Amino acid sequence: MFGFMKQYYPVFLEGTAQTIIISIIGILIGILLGLLFVMMRLSKLKVFEYLARVYIAIVRGTPSMIQVMLIYYTLSKVISVPQVQFLGSGLDRVIPGSIALGINSGAYTAEIFRSGIISISRGQTEAGLSLGLSEKTTMFSIVLPQAVRNILPALGNEFISLIKESSVLFYIGVQEVTAQALGVGGTLYNFVPPLIVAASIYFVLTFLLSQLMQFIEKKMGRKYIQSN
Amino acid sequence: MTVEPNIIEVKNLKKAYGENVVLKDISFTVKKSEKVVLIGPSGGGKSTLLRCLNRLEDFSGQVIFENQDLSAASKEKLRALRQKMGMVFQQFNLFPHKTVLENITFAPIKLKISSLQAAQKKALDLLEQVGLKNKANAYPQSLSGGQQQRVAIARALAMDPEVMLFDEPTSALDPEMVGDVLQVMEKLATEGMTMIIVTHEMGFAQEVADKVIFMDQGQIADSGSPAYIFKETANPRTKEFISKVM
Repeated sequence: MFGFMKQYYPVFLEGTAQTIIISIIGILIGILLGLLFVMMRLSKLKVFEYLARVYIAIVRGTPSMIQVMLIYYTLSKVISVPQVQFLGSGLDRVIPGSIALGINSGAYTAEIFRSGIISISRGQTEAGLSLGLSEKTTMFSIVLPQAVRNILPALGNEFISLIKESSVLFYIGVQEVTAQALGVGGTLYNFVPPLIVAASIYFVLTFLLSQLMQFIEKKMGRKYIQSN
Repeated sequence: MTVEPNIIEVKNLKKAYGENVVLKDISFTVKKSEKVVLIGPSGGGKSTLLRCLNRLEDFSGQVIFENQDLSAASKEKLRALRQKMGMVFQQFNLFPHKTVLENITFAPIKLKISSLQAAQKKALDLLEQVGLKNKANAYPQSLSGGQQQRVAIARALAMDPEVMLFDEPTSALDPEMVGDVLQVMEKLATEGMTMIIVTHEMGFAQEVADKVIFMDQGQIADSGSPAYIFKETANPRTKEFISKVM
């Protein structure tokens, strides 16, 4: 059933590498945007809060496939990326695609950060301020490190969804794993085996990521109760 | 005895949450190295007043600290003033992700007041004073409440404050832990620290206070020496409160 892999494994490897790269870029952009928008969302300036609410509402309320296509077609008109091939896809597709993944993930990440920040007692902020620390230092050195520890499971979930969601970049011609599997399926006139291979690849990637998140969680949790 | 200058002057301080007025026109002064104890029934505004002194709460009126108006201070000015006002909270509020030593050294290092080595040396000295030098590398959650509160006092002292504000420092402690914390505070008092303390520990108030302020319904209902408040006062509200808690 999987005899085709002898011939086609390089295609799947290339697709896997592409999936990993667009996911990592998407996650990083998502974290940065998440931080930016959670600060805006919690800002005392109503304009910032409103903008963040609008961003989050739009991203959460529309299909990621349409978001990706809109961003791709809009960006391709505004900026021109040279037609360089990268792991079987043009950079003019990979770059807007990863940015779109990041913009999508940023909305969810912002809400996850917000849940973490409001889970930390106000007393922590007050202790920081009472020592004469600035609001920024108190947020980044006192509140956020504790918030991140509380939201690791939710962040892990978000990263896992992003890896799976990255398959929507197929619609703008990024040759990630799903696209490659469909290509191989078309050549073989049989879609099921290559799609099973693609699914297994996603499973391995997300499983490894969840193990990594668990490891980080344990490591961060352990030191809190260290007594000496 | 020489007359010490006022270190804090509170003038016509008012605070309301919407319609709900919690502090009505409070004025009082604190002299250098004076120990002022705020007592009174829950909801009387003691803690809120204390929290106004370093502007953790917004208010109208004035708080003058070392001749500078805290209520009108810019963000930077306010930070500089807060560095000179140590605060100890009912819930300790130690940073759980930092060791005891890091809790104490974090602000002095971050604010570039001391070098890492100097801050650590000082922190260890302070921990020795509060009897917790062997806990320097422990995390707060592994300590008892009384130990955490003593670390919190050391953390505030590491900034070399001019004034220490205590917001019910023993209210969240098991009874057997209260003594250790009060002992540290008494020692601080004997060393001449200016202290403003909200507490329900009447014995401690009688022993340490230079001035006791009785707060009720958002006002200073009565104030004076411990002897006056606890024995001589004619104010019926004060008498009733004292008779209930003593």
